Amino acid sequence: MISMVSLAIRYLFSRKRQSLFTLLGIFLGAGGFVVISGFFLGFRFFFIDNLVNNSAHIFIQARQEFLEPHSLDESFFKNETKHVFWKSIPAGEKDYHRIESPQGWYERLDSDPKIEAYSPQLVVPALFSKGGSPIAAGFTGCLPEKQARVNTVAANMVEGKFSDIGGGGNRIIVGQELLKRLGAKIFENVMVTVGVGKQTPFQIVGTFDSGNKRSDLQAYGPLADVQRANHTLNLINEIDVRLFDYEQSSTKATTWSALSSETIESWDQRNSSIFTMFALQAMMRNIIVFVIMLVAGFGIYNVLMMTVSQKMKDIAILQAMGYESWEIRLLFLFQGFLLGVVGALLGLIAGFFICQYLQTLPFGGRPGATRPPGHLTIELTMGIYLQASLLSMMSALIASYLPARAAAKFTPIEIIRGGAV
Amino acid sequence: MSIVAKDVGKKIGDPPTQILTSINFEIPDGQFLSLTGHSGSGKSTLLYLLSGLDCVSSGSVIVDQVDLSRMKKKEVAHFRNEKIGFVFQFNYLIAELSVLENVLLPAKKYGQEKNRLELAKSILEKVGLIEKLNRLPRQLSGGEEQRVAIARSLVMGPKYLFADEPTGSLDTGNGEIVMKMLKEVHEQKGTTVILVTHEPDYARRAQRQVSLADGRIISDSGPSLELSLPV
Ligand SMILES: Nc1ncnc2c1ncn2[C@@H]1O[C@H](COP(=O)(O)OP(=O)(O)O)[C@@H](O)[C@H]1O
Ligand SMILES: [Mg+2]
Repeated sequence: MISMVSLAIRYLFSRKRQSLFTLLGIFLGAGGFVVISGFFLGFRFFFIDNLVNNSAHIFIQARQEFLEPHSLDESFFKNETKHVFWKSIPAGEKDYHRIESPQGWYERLDSDPKIEAYSPQLVVPALFSKGGSPIAAGFTGCLPEKQARVNTVAANMVEGKFSDIGGGGNRIIVGQELLKRLGAKIFENVMVTVGVGKQTPFQIVGTFDSGNKRSDLQAYGPLADVQRANHTLNLINEIDVRLFDYEQSSTKATTWSALSSETIESWDQRNSSIFTMFALQAMMRNIIVFVIMLVAGFGIYNVLMMTVSQKMKDIAILQAMGYESWEIRLLFLFQGFLLGVVGALLGLIAGFFICQYLQTLPFGGRPGATRPPGHLTIELTMGIYLQASLLSMMSALIASYLPARAAAKFTPIEIIRGGAV
Repeated sequence: MSIVAKDVGKKIGDPPTQILTSINFEIPDGQFLSLTGHSGSGKSTLLYLLSGLDCVSSGSVIVDQVDLSRMKKKEVAHFRNEKIGFVFQFNYLIAELSVLENVLLPAKKYGQEKNRLELAKSILEKVGLIEKLNRLPRQLSGGEEQRVAIARSLVMGPKYLFADEPTGSLDTGNGEIVMKMLKEVHEQKGTTVILVTHEPDYARRAQRQVSLADGRIISDSGPSLELSLPV
């Protein structure tokens, strides 16, 4: 057996150029797999990391409700009549969505050991203006000490502190994007229109930059002040929840949905389009690697087939001196295997260094952002290397199987009589 | 112990043509036998059958009282490795291996190359190639290559040595060297030698001469003949 292995190595070395060329295919396959996987998985990791760190994990929102033809009967006519006929039948969305029993939710969340923190909110669309034309943006009323624990807004403060809105007194914290559009500065007053109410002045006491333009077009204020401005005292329409383990978010969300009338979404359900993109990326990577491996495998197949036909004499003489078919098969399988192992190894090493280099490239950030850009995230887990080596070895072995079988197919006499001499 | 051919017939090809018909003879151990006949008379085919390289179509070949066609593949392989030395008409050396490695190749099959190293060197010494044992086959002349092939066939100390026109492509000088080697193993080791040759002179040096024509034995100087002419 050892003799077949060493003979296989001799064969490979006697055809240096062909061997190198075949190596190149496996090398590109394995290296490509590592780099592309590292890049895509790193990208995915970066996104998920951003999502789960920057935002809450589960969002409990008041269900959108619509008016029924008779849902206004009672408010207008109390008990006066049994049958009310409307000329214009009530329809459309109800004015206020509310979480029906926040107290019940608080109790449930407080008693659940998997919950790290939660923050009751009143989230309303609002118009902000500072003299010029009003800017539409989200306005979140919250309890700052609770809000600070469910997302990173408090950590992303550029000016002021998030707790500055704690004492009430119509103070708000606005995102950099909103600040820019308003043309406002810290400690200036802006007029805020919420719902059907009249304008209410709020003072900007801080700004934040989350790194995401959309989330920066937002303002946070004290819950009570926003409720008052909205003329909905004691109403909340959202509870944001953070778990200790974000991976359990969707399970929790689904369980809660079944138990309550609120609309409950986890971070991954809310961003499901991104996951579709990840799946697409994975597919793309698989296709690229499959094609490379196919080409590499075909190279091995070709070279070995050629070797088999050139070495017919050797096969006959080996069999004549007592070597068996399995040893002849091994002689050729091992050549493919060796090309696979060496090619994969070189590919993994090259892939590793390319990944190291890619990691130093700047990534993230945007022009004019206050936060410095980060670096490209490249995933370098063992799993990728393991997969890459398995894949290359598999393709090498599969590619050498047919030539190996062809080599052992003939008896020495068939070879001698067949005119191989 | 002996090699016995019992009513051996062989058909080859499609449609099958009868190559050998009713071959009956016995080769006692230690005999030097020459096989002659025109090209295409079936000499090589007979050698392949007697050495277990090929299977009979009818009849049987019995070596050391074992019917070769009853042996399993693995047993035949082991039998060939251990008991049979075969020298082909053409030099079947592996181009990537050195002279010494080629000679030791049969020994490697069962991990015997260390035990056989000394023997291999002494055989190479006898055939005048000890200086060239690290050369590759392409650095040898035709005669040298054939000597390496014979050395390889002897490295396992075979009980039976088959040589298919070993001198066919050699000049007289090299032919004589080869004949001397065969004679030596026969005399010193008691090896049974079956030599196919076209040279009447070489054939006459054997203890027994068998002639083939159209796949049949047409003359056999007899199993009991113990005449041995000086080389
Ligand atoms: N593959 C084959 N198919 C059909 N006939 C063959 C084949 N190989 C050899 N033969 C025939 O078998 C006969 C014997 O061949 P062989 O044993 O090589 O003869 P020799 O060694 O005496 O020259 C020849 O007539 C040859 O034509
Ligand atoms: Mg012949």
